[in-house]
Amino acid sequence: MQNDQLALAQTRGSVDPRVKRPLPAWVSTTALLLPTYGWLTIAIFLPLLTMLAFSFMSATPMGKTPVEFTLKQYRAFIDQPYLLRIGFNSLMMGFWTTLFCAILGFLAAVALVRATVGKTRETLLVLILLPFWTNGLVRVFSWTMVLRENGFLDNILHMVVPDAGSISILYTRYAVVLGLVHGYLPYMILTCYIALVTIDDAIIEAAASLGARWWTILYKILIPMAAPGLISGAVLIFIPVIGSFMEPRILGGRVGVTMGTVIEDQFTQAFNWPLGASLSFTLLAVVLAIFATFSGVLRGRTAG
Amino acid sequence: MRQLGRFYLIAILLFLYTPIAVMMAMGFNESPLYELPFTFSTRWYEALLSNQPLLKAGANSIIIALITAVIATTLGTMASVALSRRTFRGKSLLQLLLLPPIAIPWLITGTAMLIFFYWSGIGRGMHALLIGHVALAIPYVVLVVGTGFKTVRADLEEAAMSLGSTPVHAFFSVTLPLLYPSILGAALFAFAVSLDQFVISYFLATPGYTTLPVQIYSAIRKGFTPEINAISTLLLLGSMAVILIFARFAKPGDTRDKR
Amino acid sequence: MTEFSRRNTLKLMTATLAAGASFSLLPRKVFAAGQITVLNWQGYGTDEAWSLKQFTEKTGISVVHDYYSSESEMLTKLRTNPGAYDLVVLNAARCAQAVAEDLLQPIDFSKVPNAATVDETLRGNPNFSKDGVGFAVPWVWGMTSLAIREGKPKPESYKALADATYKGRVAMDDDAIINVGIGALMTGQDMNDPQDLAAVTEALKSIKPNVKLLWSTEDQWNKSFAANEFDLSVFWSGGSVRSKRNSKLPVEFVVPKEGAVGWVDGLGIPATAPNPEGALAFANWLIDPAFYVEWATKVGAPASSNSAALNSLPADDLSRQVHNPEYLKTMSIMSALPDDRREAFNNVWQEVKAFYAE
Repeated sequence: MQNDQLALAQTRGSVDPRVKRPLPAWVSTTALLLPTYGWLTIAIFLPLLTMLAFSFMSATPMGKTPVEFTLKQYRAFIDQPYLLRIGFNSLMMGFWTTLFCAILGFLAAVALVRATVGKTRETLLVLILLPFWTNGLVRVFSWTMVLRENGFLDNILHMVVPDAGSISILYTRYAVVLGLVHGYLPYMILTCYIALVTIDDAIIEAAASLGARWWTILYKILIPMAAPGLISGAVLIFIPVIGSFMEPRILGGRVGVTMGTVIEDQFTQAFNWPLGASLSFTLLAVVLAIFATFSGVLRGRTAG
Repeated sequence: MRQLGRFYLIAILLFLYTPIAVMMAMGFNESPLYELPFTFSTRWYEALLSNQPLLKAGANSIIIALITAVIATTLGTMASVALSRRTFRGKSLLQLLLLPPIAIPWLITGTAMLIFFYWSGIGRGMHALLIGHVALAIPYVVLVVGTGFKTVRADLEEAAMSLGSTPVHAFFSVTLPLLYPSILGAALFAFAVSLDQFVISYFLATPGYTTLPVQIYSAIRKGFTPEINAISTLLLLGSMAVILIFARFAKPGDTRDKR
Repeated sequence: MTEFSRRNTLKLMTATLAAGASFSLLPRKVFAAGQITVLNWQGYGTDEAWSLKQFTEKTGISVVHDYYSSESEMLTKLRTNPGAYDLVVLNAARCAQAVAEDLLQPIDFSKVPNAATVDETLRGNPNFSKDGVGFAVPWVWGMTSLAIREGKPKPESYKALADATYKGRVAMDDDAIINVGIGALMTGQDMNDPQDLAAVTEALKSIKPNVKLLWSTEDQWNKSFAANEFDLSVFWSGGSVRSKRNSKLPVEFVVPKEGAVGWVDGLGIPATAPNPEGALAFANWLIDPAFYVEWATKVGAPASSNSAALNSLPADDLSRQVHNPEYLKTMSIMSALPDDRREAFNNVWQEVKAFYAE
């Protein structure tokens, strides 16, 4: 179906006598976009629209119970005020994870670009991305073994200081953020690296020779250059983190209750898809609002 | 400064590889419950060799992830060209539409797909699995390649065209080489997204067909044994070898190094 | 909005069939005469390799599996895959729901000779039947109660969960229905229909200083227990047997004076099953003493519904000791919950969890 339209678009373009050589821009733009958005429509948008419809229903519309139109699922934050606190905690979890990833990732990208060259750099980059290829659950379980009482970390500490107590942070918010930073850091390193890799050494050397201090170089050259990378990195990290449920559940123990776990429970335990869906879409709305404000602020700054 | 940078990179690698090292070590630990102290044993690797379902699941995962990475990278890069280089109405909306697949937890997207594919007749099976995996990987590709576009100057391409190059030729000969790191990175992410994806595989695969993440996630009810560590280790070392060899002998990336 | 029942779904399906036809990579399933597809949790008895080998040798029927990871997923898979499954393992509480939705077909017990010795209490479970017609073969039962580390003070009541003796040493099962049930037993109420949910909430909240973690899989339980992270826990009877015997963990299963939270799993045949005969034969095998003894002693299993099978276990078998049939008479069995009550239970547990996390 997509291909037909695409072919149609192309023939139309070439039949037009006035534009013999280059196709009109909109044709090629459409041809470039159609496969992706067609694919996303079938696999994501239409299914999610179904879910959106569910979120306005009184019960999961798969059984025999009569289903009515209702807005009550979107009132959950009012009816169950403890959800507000959970939501706030999830946003904070996203914030801290993104912040740590941004600092660590940006510095790593700078180090890659400034301190390594050629094959070494490529090898290092691949080594940074590879932990991503191990299963997320396996990685999180491995962290529990490092962090728990008498785990690897404690063992190493006791080798140095035999009678030190336990420094276990398992089942705390620190452990959750640590696990999340570990899981998402490669995104930030890669996006920052992509943004910085085209930097011209000459600019920095010129700035340095003109007597610019390192922080001037950092603020005036490196951070502005890395900005697109920092932004896409933040998108790729903040958004999935506030909906994550695996890391909080396994590393957080008692404190690992997030919007992600609440939503997961609605789908797996409570059989309440409408509530789970409405919570997800509320979360999506919050995320979009945050990024809209954020990009508005950025645009305002560059304009002014 | 340069020393400090290298030292920092080593520290980052240490952090990234801590759980990986633990994972590898536990594959050689005798205890099925991952108990310390460590007792060396190869029993899990021996068990893995005779565990056909797990090996098959591993092979299936790699195949799916490879196909996903190729399709998603191609489509995503195409879309990224349009989103980064063209101006048209509704562009911001299209960019915004990339966020839901990342923002909505996979469990919900997966459930939605299961129902919608059932209603629309797409059904279950390998094709459904691929439709789902590629769709989830595409936004990552578009965002990563888009970042690359922001740093590649558009005027280089225009210069090439003004010198008589066709747009397509200008793209392939000028822009694409400069985008190489972003596209490679995007492909690695697409591969990773597919390799870690279990909900969709769980919902959309036909009975009897399974992937590694599905095996891992369903094994947690039974209790997963260090065999999982063993196969994860093999998979990681294998891919590491392949990529490093590829990086050494295939197309050199950034050839404009100073030395 | 009207009901989204199967009729509407069917309409939708026919409407989209034309569109779907172009996508017709639909898996054309060929049903070998001697093949059945079982829908179950992974690693839960039906997929043991030795058992399948014996069964196939006996009957010529081969068994394929598909798995679910939550009961809601099981129902979804049944609804969205008509004709895909021949046998499904489901909890009594879910069975009633599946029967109400016409997802299951009546069982022809004459083809399940082993069912003759199935315990009366279990066969009579109202959730397995509708209008006197049985819709599932009771398969195994078990209890959710307390597990304690050997050598620690043994709890006599669920109130021990809140006792300062176990400060920071308690693990809770992350399951809303179970926890509300336990809160109800703590406050002397009916587990399936507690009238005073506020009291249940308070009782569960009072455990907070003791709660170290919430476990959601047996695997997680085993690893945390082995790492000495907690002493007292809400746990499954069958799980405790497996932990003690297979993993050599120092754990003891305790049923306090309020009684256990009981559950029964049944074997149902989907209404659209392509091979119900084969499914009945497999169900019969699954409650056969020969299969059960091997499963229980080799792997570790809950209690068979078939008293003949349970009695074939060696007298000193741990599983047999834990699953004393006397408990069947005293424990409350989890039954089907109306939607609003299930929602209320889930809200209670979410609220308690939010309180734990503060």
